[in-house]
Parts: sequence; C-alpha cells; structure tokens
Amino acid sequence: MSTRVADGLGLLARLVLGGVFLVAGALKVTTPEAMAKATQAYQLLPHDVAAWVGYALPMVEIILGLLLVLGLFTRVAAVLTSLLVVAFIVGIAQAWARGLTIDCGCFGGGGTVSAAETNYLQRIIEDLGLLACGVWLSWRPDAHLSLDRAMFRPATT
Amino acid sequence: MAKKPTAATSARQAKIDAARRKSGGGANRIVVGAVVAVLAIVAVVAGVVITESNKQKRVGTSTAVPAGAGAMGEGFVANKDVQLVAGAPTLDIYEDFQCPACAEFERAMGPTIKGLADDGKIKLVYHLKTFLDANLRTTHSLVMGNAAMCAADAGKFQTFHDTVYANMPAQEGQGWTSAQTERFAEEAGITGEAKDAWSTCVDERTYATYVESTEESSSKAGVNATPTIRLAGTTLDLNAVRDPAGLVAAVEAATK
Repeated sequence: MSTRVADGLGLLARLVLGGVFLVAGALKVTTPEAMAKATQAYQLLPHDVAAWVGYALPMVEIILGLLLVLGLFTRVAAVLTSLLVVAFIVGIAQAWARGLTIDCGCFGGGGTVSAAETNYLQRIIEDLGLLACGVWLSWRPDAHLSLDRAMFRPATT
Repeated sequence: MAKKPTAATSARQAKIDAARRKSGGGANRIVVGAVVAVLAIVAVVAGVVITESNKQKRVGTSTAVPAGAGAMGEGFVANKDVQLVAGAPTLDIYEDFQCPACAEFERAMGPTIKGLADDGKIKLVYHLKTFLDANLRTTHSLVMGNAAMCAADAGKFQTFHDTVYANMPAQEGQGWTSAQTERFAEEAGITGEAKDAWSTCVDERTYATYVESTEESSSKAGVNATPTIRLAGTTLDLNAVRDPAGLVAAVEAATK
C-alpha cells in the first residue's frame, strides 16, 4: 500500500471514529444523570461507580473525538478510544448474554426497554467497525491533515 | 557576496537537521501533551462535580421519611391502615409521575388496584421514581413525587396520585405548573390547615430526599422502566396481565 493511500485511510479512520465519538459525547453531555442511569442499567459496575462513569463518559468521548478529528496525539487517542470501544462491546455482550433488555444508551437514552427494542447485534457490529478504525490508527497514526504533522514535524521534511 | 558553502559547513548543517528531526522540531510535544491532559482532566472532573452538585441542590437536605414508608429507599405503603386478609400478597408499583405509560396503566388498572387495596386483598406499595427527570432535563417527577408524599401527610396520597395521573400534560416533559399542583391538592380534598401544611411541605421539599432514595433503591434493584408492577416479588408481564380481571386473577393466585 502506498503511503498516500495509507495516509488517506488514516484520515478516513480518524474522521469516522472521532466523528462518532464527538457526536455521541455531545448528544449525552447535557444529560449526565440520564447517562448514570444508562450505565447502571448494564448492571456491570457497582451502582455508585456506574453513576460516576456515566457522568464522566460523555466528556471523555468528546475529548477523544476532538483529538482524533484534529489528529492531535492520534496514537494515544486511538489506543484509549479502542479500549473504550472494547469496553462497550463487553458491556453490550454481557447484557445480551444475561438476558437484560436495555437500550445501549450509546447516543443518549438508555435504560430498560422491551425485548423487541433491543439491537445488541447491530450495536456490536457497529462497534467492531469503530474498533477497526481504532486499531488501524493505533498501529499507524500518521495521516493527512493532522495537527501531529503540522505541529511536531520539522520543516525540513 | 554570500560565502559558498564548504564541505565542513554543509556537514554541520546536516547534523543540525538531524538533531532537529530527533527532537521533533516545531512545538514541544511534552508541553502540548501536558496542556491537553490537564485541560481534559479539568473538563471531566468539573463535569462530574457540577452534575453531583446540581443533583444535591435539586434534592435538598431534608431527611424526612413519610409515615407510610419504613425507611429511606423503602416503598410507600398506601393502605397501611387497612386490615389485610390472611396471606394477602404485596403489590409493588414503580411509577414516575411523568410517565405516559403509567397514566395509561392507572386508567386501566387504577380503580381495580384501589379496590383490592381497600379490601385488604393486597398490601399496596408505591415506589416513586424520578428517572424521567434525568432524561427530559426537568424536575417535574421529583417535585410531583414530593407533593404526593406531602399529600400523604394529609392522608390523601392515593387521591392526589390518581388526580395527577388524570391530568397528564399534553406532552411528555411539559410537566405541571405550581398552580396546577395546588389544584390537584384541593381536588384531592386537602383543605384548611392541612392545605397550609401541604404547601409548606411542597416549598421545603420535605420528602425530596426520600423520593430520590426510592429512585435509587429501585434502580439498584434493576427497575429502570415504568410502570413496573411486582406481585409478591415477581414482575408482572403487562402484556399477559392486560385487564382488571387478569390482575384480580393473578392476585388471587398469589394469595397464600
């Protein structure tokens, strides 16, 4: 694969993964208490810990999304984002396996829904797509139009 | 006239270039990284602290528990004064005043439940939830929950509760004005001194902490949706028990 193609793929991966995180965080950041409930509905973390995670998660998503879109500290952001996506997949899979019927609360909402309204498989597939972007960027963070390049590269190259 | 570069100067230039490449040229990575990390941590911590303090402010600091509830986090027994028949099961109702499905449930089942409770055939326990406040960014669930517990002090919980569900806002999240809430209290038969006490209780959010505590404990018990109805500890499938006759039959089956 030529460098140009790889750099283009990197940019695409950054915009997809960063864009999704940015939007997901922005949609939820105004309703942190609802996010606490959504996180608690997974019945995975201790109740109080889940509330704190719910409060913090939207802001963390916005920050990681911004870093990825801007291409600043791409590798660090991509590694952290990938770990979060893995955590989301684990959360959804365990809810599915235990027979909980919850909305993932990925873009707001969350909590218990009727069994017909769950869409675990679709969410996991989406997350796997995001994970692919994250893994690519962790391995090869260099891409077009990044602050990493603009700020940290010597002018001679 | 500029000096022509000699072999020595161009070698030195190459060394400088190499050094610049090594140090990464441009902005200092560590400084920028530290700034970004600090900003990120401040944003996350500030968000969490603000959320927690908003919650504290909304709920207040009152520690009063209504007479019909045993303790913080425990449901409110609506028919505490009724002599229960032998082996009467407990019917736990988890409701949020802002929940349209709850209003629908009350319209279909409310009178039947009230009849069963008055006859002592069930121990009727309400667990007020407020999670829709978080979703809708309102405080109506909490305010109305507190007002209902204030009505309980006047012995009018059930009628107040029924009045609220008969007067749902046209749109979910719109809530009720304080004038409307006051009218609900009057319609529930709270007058005179009792009305003054009710008003004070509403203004002071006397039972807001209690209402929040039933939200917390029910959520801890895995109740994240309303209405949730538990008969003798088992969640009723409202698709299976869909009419009053079905509910009466289920209660009879659960009576030991």
